[in-house]
Amino acid sequence: MRSIQRRLSLGLISVMVIVGLVLAQTSLWLFEMGLQRYLEAGLRNDSENLLVALVRGPQGLQLDERHLAPAYQRPFSGHYFRIDFADSHWRSRSLWDQELPRLEHPGLDSNLQLGPEGQQLLVLRSDYRRLGQSISISVAQDYTPVRESFRRMQQVGLGLGLAGLLLILLLQRITVRRALRPLEKAREQIAQLQQGQRSQLDDQVPVELEPLVAQINHLLAHTEDSLKRSRNALGNLGHALKTPLAVLLSLASSAQLDAHPQLRKTLKAQLEQVQQRLNRELNRARLAGDALPGALFDCDAELPGLLSTLNMIHGEHLTLSARAPAGLQLPWDREDLLELLGNLLDNACKWADAEVRLSVLETVEGFELSVEDDGPGIPEDRRKQVFSRGTRLDEQTDGHGLGLGIVRDIVEAWGGVLQLQESEWGGLNVLIELPKRR
Amino acid sequence: MRLLLVEDHVPLADELMAGLNRQGYAVDWLADGRDAVHQGSTEPYDLIILDLGLPGLPGLEVLARWRAEGLPTPVLILTARDSWAERIEGLKAGADDYLTKPFHPEELHLRVQALLRRSHGQVNQPTLKAAGLQLDEGRQCVTRDGAEIQLTAAEFRLLRYFMLHPEQILSKSHLAEHLYDGETERDSNVLEVHVNHLRRKLGRSVIETRRGQGYLFGGQTR
Repeated sequence: MRSIQRRLSLGLISVMVIVGLVLAQTSLWLFEMGLQRYLEAGLRNDSENLLVALVRGPQGLQLDERHLAPAYQRPFSGHYFRIDFADSHWRSRSLWDQELPRLEHPGLDSNLQLGPEGQQLLVLRSDYRRLGQSISISVAQDYTPVRESFRRMQQVGLGLGLAGLLLILLLQRITVRRALRPLEKAREQIAQLQQGQRSQLDDQVPVELEPLVAQINHLLAHTEDSLKRSRNALGNLGHALKTPLAVLLSLASSAQLDAHPQLRKTLKAQLEQVQQRLNRELNRARLAGDALPGALFDCDAELPGLLSTLNMIHGEHLTLSARAPAGLQLPWDREDLLELLGNLLDNACKWADAEVRLSVLETVEGFELSVEDDGPGIPEDRRKQVFSRGTRLDEQTDGHGLGLGIVRDIVEAWGGVLQLQESEWGGLNVLIELPKRR
Repeated sequence: MRLLLVEDHVPLADELMAGLNRQGYAVDWLADGRDAVHQGSTEPYDLIILDLGLPGLPGLEVLARWRAEGLPTPVLILTARDSWAERIEGLKAGADDYLTKPFHPEELHLRVQALLRRSHGQVNQPTLKAAGLQLDEGRQCVTRDGAEIQLTAAEFRLLRYFMLHPEQILSKSHLAEHLYDGETERDSNVLEVHVNHLRRKLGRSVIETRRGQGYLFGGQTR
């Protein structure tokens, strides 16, 4: 979709241009018509004066020179006449060697060219009967100055019109931008929302946007709320199932079963299966996945807590370190990321001799997380097996395998890539590339 | 070693109590969070096992109150909520270890042992060592100069307590408070008898009597 701004501009320009041109042309035409009427009155006056100047002389009709305007005597003065009789015609002296053609019909014509100066003439032909003869008097006036001033007027008008159009466009742009500012703000806020920099849209918006913003906010709150509720419910379910399971596990190791080793073995194996399945599925169900994050994962705030928790669990002999740019925030759900990093680091701690290192990098495409340890690592030919669905090394035993099931689920939900490499110390390096959220 | 178990699920609590008793721990059991806040800070426990899903008061709140009062006792959290976010919350509230349900009883016993040793400044090692003795807590026997010596349950409890507190004068009442749970009648004569048994098995000098003060374990090694 094109932007609203562009649509408005285009619409406005076309309307303004069409209306402006039609209006300007029409008003020019009307003005010219009016002017011609005015000039016509003058010409008619002239022709009547000529008629009056026609007097009966010794050789028939003749013009009384005294009644003739001086402009008719000066060559190319701009005022001309031609008097047609039945068999001859007179021309004014001002025509000099030029012929003023006789109009076919009585009336006004404005399209007459007269050389050599290319004067454009406005000609009026009037027919009379005088002294028993039919006389047709054509009176002409140089129309060029009027035409020129019209052209100048046209140019000035066009210039003014263009300038006006530009001014209007500019004003329209400013107005539209001002009017659309709330939309632009909402757009920015939605972008921030997607990057997890805010959890709600600002509700101080114009009336037109209110329902939209309110609905988005409602959906956000609803998503967050239902995520919280489902996590809580899952927690309760887990609690309800795992506590009896702990009792059963404890009973399976009790002395009363010493006499039945086979029974104990089966019981334990089955219970362990239940436990693994339960853990995996509950963990998977807890994931927020690709929903909008309520809060960003702030590396500076969260990583120290995570590392000290791991140190507490695995003992002080391990050196856990984290490298992340100061102030780095990852745009994913905090609990999901903690789960991801916790499992990866926990796994690394199980295998490491002395060192585990977490690195977080921001790249052009997204983020790179890597967890390295100095343990035995995994030979290259076995690394693929870890992820192939058939033989899940990570699911063989909870706590003794790779513990990567949940990690893989999370990375998949985020559209990331998980790779196993050899670490700097010869152990395993789990590298995760996560694309930026759009 | 006297432990406080705070767990509202009765069958699990029964199982845990039985298992821990077999390991030679005196265990008091509470099911309500509010009682736990009070009793945990008044009785001299060596370790507390705390479930997080408690009636009355949530486990994390109980823990936070203990820590706010300055209670130094190590606390092991027991919970079905095993997300990392919750583990970190537990640690921030002041827990020393975190065990998720369901678990193998041995796992709990090992964690309790490790936590007790850690809280008494002993590095993590398979056996407890003090004053030339090595105590195998799993088999409840002691080794001295390569010779293995069998112990009764009561002797084992007493020796473990001494070995976790070497070179410290321990009064009889202190020992009684830490070796018996709240419901056992405390008889200092019984304690004397066990001390004498230990002296007979391990040598008189292992436990000195400081008249009017109490017993001193491992004092002669200095």
